[in-house]
Parts: sequence; structure tokens; C-alpha cells
Amino acid sequence: MAFWNEIGNRVAWLFRRSRFDRELEEEMRFHIQARADELEQAGVSSADALRRARREFGSTLRSREETRSAWQMRWLEDLGSDLRYAARALRRNRALALAAVGSLALGIGANTTIFSIAKEALFSEPSCRDSKSLVEISVSGNTWIPMSQYRFLEATHAFDGLAGMNIQMVVNWRDGNRTYRLAGTRVTGNFFEVTGIPVAMGRPIERGESDVAVVTHGFWTKHLGGDPKVVGRTLALDGKPYTVVGVLPRDHRMLAGFGFTPDLYLTKDPIEVIMYARLPRGMTRQAAYAALKPICRELDRVYPDVNRKWAKEVRLSAVGGVERLQEDGQEAIPLAAFFGMLVVVTAIVVLIACANVSSLLLARAFTRSREFAIRMSLGGSRGRLVRQLLAESLLLALLGTGAGLLLNLWLTRLLSGVHIPTPLPIELLIQPDRMLLAYSVALTFVVTLATGLVPALKGTRAGIGGALKEGGRQNGPAGYSLRNALVVGQLAVSILLLSAGLLFLRNLMYATSFNAGFDTSHAVVATFQTVWGTYTPQRFAGLVDTALERLRALPGVEAASPASAVPLNPFLAFNRPGGQFRPDAGSRTVRVQYNFNAVGPDYFRIMGIPILQGRAFADSDRLGTPPVAILNETMARRLFGNTNAVGHILRFPDNRDATVVGIARNCKYVTLGEENAMALYDPYFQQDHSAFAHFFVRTRSAPETMVRKVDETLAGLDAGAAVETRAMGEIFAGALLPSRLGAAILGSMALFGLMLASIGLYGVLLYATQQRIREIGIRVALGATPGDVLAMVVGQSLRLVTAGMVIGLAVAAAAVRPLSMFLVPEVRPADPMNFVAVACALALVAGLATVAPTARALRVDPAVALKHE
Amino acid sequence: MESNTVPELLPGTLYLLILRTLSRGPLHGYAIVKRIKDASREGLRIEDGSLYPALNRMLVKGWLTSEWGVSENNRKARFYRLTPEGRKQLNQEAGEFDRLVRAIQMVMRTA
Repeated sequence: MAFWNEIGNRVAWLFRRSRFDRELEEEMRFHIQARADELEQAGVSSADALRRARREFGSTLRSREETRSAWQMRWLEDLGSDLRYAARALRRNRALALAAVGSLALGIGANTTIFSIAKEALFSEPSCRDSKSLVEISVSGNTWIPMSQYRFLEATHAFDGLAGMNIQMVVNWRDGNRTYRLAGTRVTGNFFEVTGIPVAMGRPIERGESDVAVVTHGFWTKHLGGDPKVVGRTLALDGKPYTVVGVLPRDHRMLAGFGFTPDLYLTKDPIEVIMYARLPRGMTRQAAYAALKPICRELDRVYPDVNRKWAKEVRLSAVGGVERLQEDGQEAIPLAAFFGMLVVVTAIVVLIACANVSSLLLARAFTRSREFAIRMSLGGSRGRLVRQLLAESLLLALLGTGAGLLLNLWLTRLLSGVHIPTPLPIELLIQPDRMLLAYSVALTFVVTLATGLVPALKGTRAGIGGALKEGGRQNGPAGYSLRNALVVGQLAVSILLLSAGLLFLRNLMYATSFNAGFDTSHAVVATFQTVWGTYTPQRFAGLVDTALERLRALPGVEAASPASAVPLNPFLAFNRPGGQFRPDAGSRTVRVQYNFNAVGPDYFRIMGIPILQGRAFADSDRLGTPPVAILNETMARRLFGNTNAVGHILRFPDNRDATVVGIARNCKYVTLGEENAMALYDPYFQQDHSAFAHFFVRTRSAPETMVRKVDETLAGLDAGAAVETRAMGEIFAGALLPSRLGAAILGSMALFGLMLASIGLYGVLLYATQQRIREIGIRVALGATPGDVLAMVVGQSLRLVTAGMVIGLAVAAAAVRPLSMFLVPEVRPADPMNFVAVACALALVAGLATVAPTARALRVDPAVALKHE
Repeated sequence: MESNTVPELLPGTLYLLILRTLSRGPLHGYAIVKRIKDASREGLRIEDGSLYPALNRMLVKGWLTSEWGVSENNRKARFYRLTPEGRKQLNQEAGEFDRLVRAIQMVMRTA
């Protein structure tokens, strides 16, 4: 505290310096006069008294200097003048400054943008009252709990409130004559009361209310036209009128985190919920755990369940920030690792840019070594010179970071508007904050030191005598070897970046070539969702039959099939059931977890998945006929070994039996990254469905042209049903998003890094050539052929590139290995072809960077060069 | 001759003396010097040249404030006044000084 007051006093002084000088002068005059008065009273003559008083006081000049230094912050004033001087120096070298600031800005912009996104996606605090005392509860190792159990827990009043929400709900919204699927989060009546989520307009949902909704800001602006009188308006949701009671603020961050943003919150008890508890003031999480545990044991007595022990794995976890991430480790680690990798990659680019700037400043410092020597011989301290040189890199770093932050603001604003249309849509709201500022300040500091420290120290080390004698024309060998080392480092790191970039590029190519085991080129997928409870299973099956008939009747449609899941879409995901199977209904059990889909007869034809043995489903496989199933290769081998599984009986964990009628080829089910996952298909019509189906349609022409017809056909079946139809390729965009993102960011960063490194190489070679023009002239005069000159320059380039390549490849071989977690298994980080390709790319670019310096060396005319003194 | 020289101030005691002198009310620079000289019966003398740097360092630290006023013989003079922080500093330094002196005396008498 005292320290800051002192700084404040000193800063205030800076603004009244001239008045201070005047006043001090006056004060000292008064002091001397007062002493003289006293002496005079003691009988000294007035002239003598004044002279004596002056002598006693001593030098007023020295006193004033010392007094002034009591206030001064030397370093601040020096910094100011250093920065002014640096600004002048940079203005003289405008091109150099621009290149340096530009490359720093691009690197820093990319780096801080990744930082901003990661911070928002991973560490943001949810919008609610006092997030510290709000916890997410999971029992029996699961955050989801059925409603009756939730009610039991709520009735115990163990906390200051227990509320539930269900984020996975689709709501059909009838607007005019269209029905839309909305992401509606269903909440218990006390949800807003317990969590204290703020609303911007209207009021939150209150306890005991039903048929009311609170809409998010995005839904309000995009779908309700930002209607200022929206509160009180009625929305037809799932065939029932709901009253809008409130609108959430624009910066609403859902408790679920990760940027998930529903369209609206509505009252309607779901089947199961995620529970949030408000801990009473002062209750620790340990105490809450101790209170909850016996209640869960009670739950086990009241609701015994063979598969779940409620009192097992009881957990209370934080709802926001770093803490949540630590507790949700399983889900968040890959995401955190991905962001971590991107931060590292962009930081490497910043470092390459720093190396270029450092190399340029080093060259400058050496050309100015004569000036420095003179200043030192005149009494200037080396520390002062070092600080002056650092001021130059500080200025570059400040400008680079400033421009980088502008880039960050622009990019994050762009990204903030992006709406990722997953069933629970993702929308990140990225705003600059204090953390970004602190990060940028730290980055500026690092960049200043990284660019400036070596040139400042090396540039001022040449002794006074040495530099003056040499006339300041020659570079010390230290300067050469340092710049060479910087270039080698840059080249090595570019290899690393290129290797990572290439892996992601190959990953993207692999992913887009869609060797996923099925064919998406001629398929349209429609998701058809009726209002729950409208249909019995029999009537729904009839509806699906009608739909298929009408779809097949459309011109250009080859086949149509219902299915319960869409592959490679993490959000319309496969069920992944598991349990003990009994092959041939015998006593041997095999535990498996597999991907499940219920499909129609034509599904395999539409998707281009070959049936390797046996048959596909037939139209006759319906309720009432003997149950059948199709396995994929992996699952068949797992259950039946090498014997042909077709014709065998399979007993399910719930003791129903089905006959295996076919083996389907393996394909990808949930992610492109999975390898030989197990899968089991049931006939769609042997299962009960009552509200929901995906329709897969194979078209003769491009699927995009058929989307509207399919959509209209299905919408015509039930006015209350929400239909979403897209070409299948589009649906898979979600599965491709990580590969696209990774390839785009890493690819561009790798190319940018390579460009910077080649500029560095070019600069060093050109500089070296210019320094050696005289030497080359002499050599040519003494009979060196152009070939010799060529060998000289190219030889230097070759040495640098080889050193960089060897180091880079060695580092990359080890460093890219963990990347396999982000790649499809078919792209192997250790593949030697990657490194060969990277080395070739680097050699090519290095060759290009060598052309101009070589040409300069070949153009040396000995007559001119020798005169050039 | 030697016995007439004024003993040098112990390092750090200048602040203490100034704080103590000002604890009875605001004074201008010359009055501070005179007050210390008189109180010590000429035993201590503050060098005029080191007074103002010291006063200003104390202003920076916030122990003193200053304002212009009129001296006893009607001249414009700058008066220094103790702040609450300065008073706190005085109490602390005075206590430390007492302990130091007592300890030194103890050693001088017994050792």
C-alpha cells in the first residue's frame, strides 16, 4: 500500500516539476536569509552575515540536485527517452519495423485468439448466483438421475435447494405452417430460484409454474425478431401453448459449460435430470457429501435397482472454472490437450518471428558497435546502452502485441457469432477480459526479452578499443555464429511445425475422402420427430410405412429406409449398450459394448455397406416374425470366433433371443478415430418406436437437389412433426469439424512459420554475402571461378539447412507422437513419409531463399568491390 | 579543537530527529535545523545541504505534507507538517532507537 502511495506521489511530482524547481529555489533563499538575519542580530555586519550564511549552506546546486533525485523515477524518465529514441530509429527503418511488427502481430494474434477461445470454452464461469456454493451432484457415478429419485432427494431438504435440468431435449415449435426442432432445456420449477440465473427481460420461471418458457437472447433475436413485447407471447411447443415469461441476457453461459446454448428453458418434467444443489452458507463440499451419502443409502432401500447402487460413487463437483475441468477430466482432457497443442504451436510461431526480429536487431547492433564504443569511451555505461537497445525491442513487442490484440478482437468477434448446429447448439461468447490483458502483458515481456536480450548484450560487449580500431566495419565472429544459431533454430522448429501441420492435413484428406466404410455421395438424411405421446408404436410404424411409400414414389429416389441412429454424428449418436451376451444361447457369456442401430431393409444398400455373409433385413422382418439381427465383422468374431455366425442364435443381456442372419462389413460409427468398433443392427420394424425416426434416402442425382422434396414429403405426414433434412455429407460436417479446424490452424501456422524461417535464412545469407563482398572480389580477382563463389554461398546455406533439418527431424520424431490422439488411426505420426515430405518442402523453400544472395555474390565485380571501402 | 567538533549523526537518525521535531507542530526548514541545534545544546547539527533532500524523501514517503505560510518575521516560508503515517513512523522509529541505545549502553557498562 505504502509502495503504491509512493509511486503515486512520484508520478504526481512529474507533472509539477517546473513549479517544484521554483519553489525549492525560494525555500533555500529563505533558509539562507533566515540564518543571515540571525547572525545580524548577533552583531555581524549585514554583508558578512549573508556571505557566512551562504558559505554555511554550501552548494545550493548540489542540494537541489539531491532534492530532486528524491522524487525522480530515473528509470521511468529514461524509459520515456529510450522509447522516443527507439521510435525515431524504427521510423528511419520503416520497412524493417513493419516486417517485424507484422510477423509478431500475426503470431501473437493467433496465439492470443487460441488462448481466448480455450479460456472461454474450458474455464468460463456459468451465469448463476454465487457459483462457488452451487454444485453438480452425481450418484452411482452418473450425473443423470430419474425423476422419481430426484423428487425423493429434493424432499429430504438436505441443501438450500435442489434443482434439475435436462439438456438433451428436442422441442417441436409450430410457427405459422412450419415446425422447427428447438433445443429446449427442461427444468424443474425451482431451477431458476435455486441457481439464481439472471434474466435480462421479464422474469425467471417460478416454482409451481407450468407451461412457461424463458428464451435465450439468441433465439429471441433470430427467431422472434427481437420483439420487445415478447414477454407474454405464446409459443406452440410440442402441440401445447407455452407463455414466454423472460428473456436471458446476451452473455448467458449455461451451467453445462463448453459454450452449450439452448434455444429456450421450459417447464416440463423430463424423464431424467442433471441435479444441481445450492449448499447452505458455510457448508463445505465434504460436509455436503457426508450429508448426501446416507440419503443415497436410503434411496437404495426405497428404489432398489440391480444395475445401479445409488450410494456408490456419490460426487459433488464444481459448476465452473478450472475446478470443473479437473473434475470432469474424462470429457475435457482431449479438448484441453487440443487447445494446449494449438497454444504451443502458435507460441512456436511467435518464437520464430522473435528469432527473425532478434537476428535483425543483432545485425543492427553490430553495425552500430562503433557508435556504442564511442559512447562507452565517453563514459556512457554499458547498462544504459543495453537498456536503450531493449527499449527498441520493447517498442516492437508493444506494437506487435497491440496489433496482435486487434487481430484477436476481430477474430474472436467473428467466432462469437458462430453457431454450431449440434442438437444442443454451441455458441461461444468471447470477450476480452483481464486475463487476456495479463496474458498479453506477459507475452510482451517475453517477446521483448526474446528479441532484444541477445542483441543488446552481444552488441555492447565489444571492447572500446577493439571496435574503434576495427573501424566498426567488421562483424565479430560472435555475431555470425549467433545469427546462424538463430536460423538453425528457426529451421528446426519449422520442421516440427510442418510435421504437425502435415499430419493434420493428411488427417483431413483421409477424413474427407470418407473411407468411413460407407458412401455418402447419394444420400439424404431426414430427421423426423413427432410430439411425444401422439402415436402408439403400431400407429407410428404405420406412419413410417406411409412415409417410406411416399419417399420411394418420388422421382429420382432409389431407396428409402428408416434408422434409429445416424453414424458419425456425435449428437444424433448411436446408443452404446453393453452387457453379457450368450452365443448360441449357451452357458458361455461374452461381455461386449457395441454400437446399436435399428434399420430398415434398404439401409445397407443406401449406405453402401456390403453384407459379407447371409442377408440384409427383409421387409418381412417385423413384429411377430422371428427376431433377427445383423452383426458387424468385429462383433461376429468376438461372439462366435472364426465360425460363420450366420444362422446362430444370440441371447441378449435381457434374455431375448435373435437369430443372426447376416454379417455386415465394419465401418465407422461414432468417430472417425475409432478402430474396428463393434456394431449390432436390429430390424427397425421389430422394435417399438413411437415418436422418432431418421429417414435415409438414396437419390439418383446429386442429393442436394432432393433435399426439399424429401423434406416436404415428410412434413406433409404430420403437421406437428419437426423435420430436418440435409444431404448426408453435410451431416458429417460435425465429425469433420475437429480435423478441419486442426488442419486449417496447424497448416496455416506451419506455412507461416516456414515463411518466417525462410525470410530469416534469406536475411542471414544476404547479410553474410554483403559483408564478404570485398573478400569475394579479391577471390575473383585471384582467379576464383563463378562455381567457387556459388559453392561459397550455397555451402553456407547448405550447412545451416542441414543442421536445422537434422535437429528438427530428431525433435519432431519424438514430439509429434502424442498427436495420434487427434488423428484417425490410419494416419500414423511415426510414418517416415511425413518426415521425407517435410524435409523436401523445407529444402525447396531454403533453396528459394538462397537464390537472391547467390545471385548477389555472382554479380560481384572485383574492380568495384575492391574500391568499395 | 577535536573536542569541539559536532559528532556525526548515526545513520538513519536524521529522519527520526526531523519527525520528533515536527511532532509538536508544523515548522519551516530553518526552524527545524535551529530547533534540533538548540534542543541538543549545539550537540547536533544538521547540515543545511542534506536537510532538503531528507525532507523531500519524507514527502515522497507520505510522512510529511508541506504548505506555504508566513514566517515569524513575515517572510514567505514553506512549513512541514507531520501526517498520521509520519506519526506512526515516529513511534516505531523512536521505540527502535530506544532499544538500540539501551542495548549499546548495556554493552558499554558490562562488557
